[in-house]
Amino acid sequence: MTQELARPATTPAEVTRDTNNLYEVWGDTVDSRHLVLAILVSSVVSLGTYALALWILAGILDSAQMAKAYAMLFGILGCLAGGTISALLFKPKRDVIEHAADPAFREQVVNDLLKEYGSLGRLEETSPEVIAELRDLGLYELFRDAELREQTAPSAADAGVDASLQPSGGRS
Amino acid sequence: MEGLLYEILMALALGLFGAVLFSAIGLVSGTDETTTLAPLTMLVVMLGAPPAGILTFFLAGAVAKHMTHAVPTALLGIPGDTMATALIGDANYLRRLGVPHVALRKMITGGAMAALIAVPLSVLFAVLLAPFGDVIKQFAPWVFLCAAFAIAYFSAGRWASVLALLPFVLVIVALQTLTAQYDVKLAVSYFLGIAVAPLIASLFSLLAPVEREKMRRDGFRVFSLAPDMKGWKGYFPNPFRVINKRQRRMTAMAASVTSATFVFSPVAMTVIMGEVIGARIKQAYERLTTVITARNGVTESTYIAEALIPLIAFGLPLSPVAAGPAAPLFNAPPRFTVDSATGEVNNLHNLLNYWEFFGYGMLAVVVAILIAYPFSMSFAHRAASFVFRKISHEAVISTFIGLALVVGIWEGGLLGVLVVVTIGLLGGFLGRFLGFNIGVQFMGYYTAVLSVPAMLALLR
Repeated sequence: MTQELARPATTPAEVTRDTNNLYEVWGDTVDSRHLVLAILVSSVVSLGTYALALWILAGILDSAQMAKAYAMLFGILGCLAGGTISALLFKPKRDVIEHAADPAFREQVVNDLLKEYGSLGRLEETSPEVIAELRDLGLYELFRDAELREQTAPSAADAGVDASLQPSGGRS
Repeated sequence: MEGLLYEILMALALGLFGAVLFSAIGLVSGTDETTTLAPLTMLVVMLGAPPAGILTFFLAGAVAKHMTHAVPTALLGIPGDTMATALIGDANYLRRLGVPHVALRKMITGGAMAALIAVPLSVLFAVLLAPFGDVIKQFAPWVFLCAAFAIAYFSAGRWASVLALLPFVLVIVALQTLTAQYDVKLAVSYFLGIAVAPLIASLFSLLAPVEREKMRRDGFRVFSLAPDMKGWKGYFPNPFRVINKRQRRMTAMAASVTSATFVFSPVAMTVIMGEVIGARIKQAYERLTTVITARNGVTESTYIAEALIPLIAFGLPLSPVAAGPAAPLFNAPPRFTVDSATGEVNNLHNLLNYWEFFGYGMLAVVVAILIAYPFSMSFAHRAASFVFRKISHEAVISTFIGLALVVGIWEGGLLGVLVVVTIGLLGGFLGRFLGFNIGVQFMGYYTAVLSVPAMLALLR
């Protein structure tokens, strides 16, 4: 869903950016070399913490079972420590854009909604609370105009096509 | 009396800990409930926490996570976890309309409301079902077998999943026979393997040249973060201002219905309830906002009901949530056990009574709401921005790999790690190519440990 917003991506400084080893793994982009190093760091830190904790606790606690259970707690803290070190060493491969929706873009969204739902419904059918909310958000006119367009168009499907051909059509 | 006070204080403390911890985890997108809730709850059980504290830790964690998962879902347009995938469509519409803060507030408020409804209803349904408990326990191995086939058939893989259950169960039985030769008995390693399966499958794919080329990307991934908008004064926003009367009614209805349907997949229920409610509302904006409110409510109510009803009524993990993220409440050997042959249970089912389940359940929900509600309302933007700018995906992946290694080594040494990798690889590819999802894989595990011994006993 975010791909269509990819256009402004050229704005951040891309001088030293190395994009040769980028892959999508488990839903997000990583640099494969960084991934290998991060996994190594995290494995060493987490297992190291666990082994150390087990060794020390086995000397202190009487019950070997309790020592093992607490060692696992330290092992999990070790995982978090490993993750934190990896986060400090390797920066995210993401561009985050602070972005406010522009009016033309909003009309496209309303058109998409019309296509999915078949009809935008009527504002008169909603409660005053919903109308007040729409007014507060500055969306009332958007939906009212779209509703009027839908009513003048012969059918819902045609309205979707029609409006997408003229992105700013019907807006006063 | 002093004992009771201690119990309550411990329950409160652990609930608070769970709520804070999982409020933070919920912000990190892609952290699946099973991967995070199951091992940490297991840890709390193993460390000897009192029964009430185990319950509050799990419930407060689940409720808090399903509130803060709304932050990445609403503000970044990526699902906060598995349950949030059902909400992403509605959330994206609202985000693209420029009102993600509305989506966020309504989701969180719906979640809080549904959680408060779900606890008493779940306890009530459990009390009604409890008389059938003995019959179900008697036939437990067969009930699990039927449940496994049913859940497999209703997964995306349909008949492929049903048939794939056979080799999957066979592999688990074979692995158990192998580890038994070295006196190693594993349980958590299987859970963890199934939970991190998609990650393990992707890492293996990355090593294979052909697959690697398919995963290649030429640039950083772009996320658009919606600007911050705060529409109320003070720290604790009034929930009744956030959602209107119709949304309250719809959320209450959806939460009540889904508190009863505890055997179905929570994601499926979330989708279905959204469709049912959406079909009744004509105006598009009202429909979007009402559906997203009710859907996030359902993510809470299904989780609570699916964990509590089987636990209170039977003590057997007979629902997708009970078999997955809530598994340690049922089965955490040596402390909690479900006996395969007799259906005899020794877990929270025996340790807490109805009133305690109700009281501590409500305590957990209230604590989670007090932590997660104002937090995600007030700091959503800053938190999402921090996670996305500072926490690399490499760090998230390496943390999970560390977790798999520590838990594997802790439970069964090298054999434990090998089991995590084997199950993860098999489950991951079966899930990716056949739609043999995590729920089916968990039922496969239960079939292997509960139904297979019973079948072998019949054949003998």
